[in-house]
Amino acid sequence: MNKPTEFPYPIPEFAAEYYWEACNRGEFPMQRCTACARYRWMPGALCPYCDSADLEWTPLSGRGTVSTWTVVTHAVHPAAVARVPYIIAEVELEEQPGLRVISNLVKIDPEEITIGLPVEVEFREHSSGQKLPVFKPRR
Amino acid sequence: MIRTIRDQACIVGVGHTEYSSDSGRSEMKLACEAIRAAMDDAGLGPEDIDGIAKYTMDNNDPVLIAKNLRLPRLNFAAEVSYGGGGGPVGTVLLAAMAVATGQAQAVAAFRAMNERSGRGTPRYGQGSTEPGAGGVQSYHAPYGLFSPAQMVALAAHRHMHLYGTESIHFGEIAVACRHHANHNPDATMYGCPMSLDDHQSSRMISTPLHLFDCCLESDGGAAVIVTTPERARDLRQRPVTIAAGGMGIGAWNDRSVLKNVDAPETESTVIARHVFEDAGIGHDDIDVLFLYDHFTPLVLMALEEYGFCRRGEGKDFVTGGRLQWPDGELPLNTSGGNLSEGYLHGMQNNIEAVRQLRGQSRCQVEGAEYAFVASGNAVPTTAMILRRDG
Repeated sequence: MNKPTEFPYPIPEFAAEYYWEACNRGEFPMQRCTACARYRWMPGALCPYCDSADLEWTPLSGRGTVSTWTVVTHAVHPAAVARVPYIIAEVELEEQPGLRVISNLVKIDPEEITIGLPVEVEFREHSSGQKLPVFKPRR
Repeated sequence: MIRTIRDQACIVGVGHTEYSSDSGRSEMKLACEAIRAAMDDAGLGPEDIDGIAKYTMDNNDPVLIAKNLRLPRLNFAAEVSYGGGGGPVGTVLLAAMAVATGQAQAVAAFRAMNERSGRGTPRYGQGSTEPGAGGVQSYHAPYGLFSPAQMVALAAHRHMHLYGTESIHFGEIAVACRHHANHNPDATMYGCPMSLDDHQSSRMISTPLHLFDCCLESDGGAAVIVTTPERARDLRQRPVTIAAGGMGIGAWNDRSVLKNVDAPETESTVIARHVFEDAGIGHDDIDVLFLYDHFTPLVLMALEEYGFCRRGEGKDFVTGGRLQWPDGELPLNTSGGNLSEGYLHGMQNNIEAVRQLRGQSRCQVEGAEYAFVASGNAVPTTAMILRRDG
């Protein structure tokens, strides 16, 4: 078997097909409850804050802050060998406290990262053609 | 009304194979060797064992175990959710519930795998090389988030930010486990002492996790036998009673092992709400501690979440040798744990807890009466309090 040269592409879950298609258009949406107006991540069937099942895809600003991060230095995937060190971060989005998403931090030196660092979304194209939201510092 | 599992089941036998990097035999053979060793330890034969409790992630079919060990009938077979890390205590509690309700007379709880050699079980620290990732991994694998170590690294940085915890505090846990392993000739790291400096200079895996913050990978098998208190009285070893136990699961983590450090309630705090009260004791009554040591930061968080110290005070609690036998007041994982004895998904910690309460440990805590044993923090988990009888 050929060793993959890139990290896996996302196979959209049923609830997330809209999300990945929106990313390909350069949008960054999340499901928002029409009853209590709160966002949920990851995509799912019901609002975890109230009893509503009425969730509506809503664009976010793409701005947030780093809530935690790690610099991966040990490759555990064939494609990681050429990528290390790379930065995985959890970003808290400005729309809602605790609304956090896993992504990569780009265009930054690891020494510059602090928790609370302002970041904004941009899109990186996977070789599959899927665009992935990643985050860069807000300057 | 009986509300808890208190005093309704005992661990009467323990057994394990060697812990190695390549066992040279099948996972089924490892499972059968470990279970048979535990049966021999208890003084029980094939006709006495009528139940099997397994980890979800274990490949060994109870039907084939029964065939290989010539168990004439099984009244009970079950597996614990999220075992994995939830398995070591979870399998014992399944066994305890089975014997307490009369569903079985004596149940073997086991874990056997060739995880290091990869002969039967994939190495859990390696990313899948499938071209696409589905389910929860579809949100993580495209970013290169694959391994438990990377997920725990995220939680560790968050804890450091919130509470001022430092890498050296994680190191205290690694050093305590290594210290104990150096008294245990069965331990993989026997003869390999480690200082805090060694921990700090070990190579970085995923910041802030060093190599020595991460558990071993092992081939091997480990098992315990659980039966009723009545039956336990007549067997070969001094019984060890399950004084309390419970399972804790929450919706607060997006993914098993990917821990939400900010959550006020965690899988471990759910259990801590009742388990000490159920056993009729306090934290100060615990003589020896077994916390599932997949990664040192989660051991520190487990100390906090089970209430041995307050949230955020783990850094002070672990400092000064408190976790090291013989002088520390609360020795941790006294055979070396997943970090330094062998990685059998924590089943070895059950075995060592039993040895402590029988007075058979190589790092014997004088007069040990109560042991606290927990499965993995950050996964849907299980914990129990064990008591010496007689």
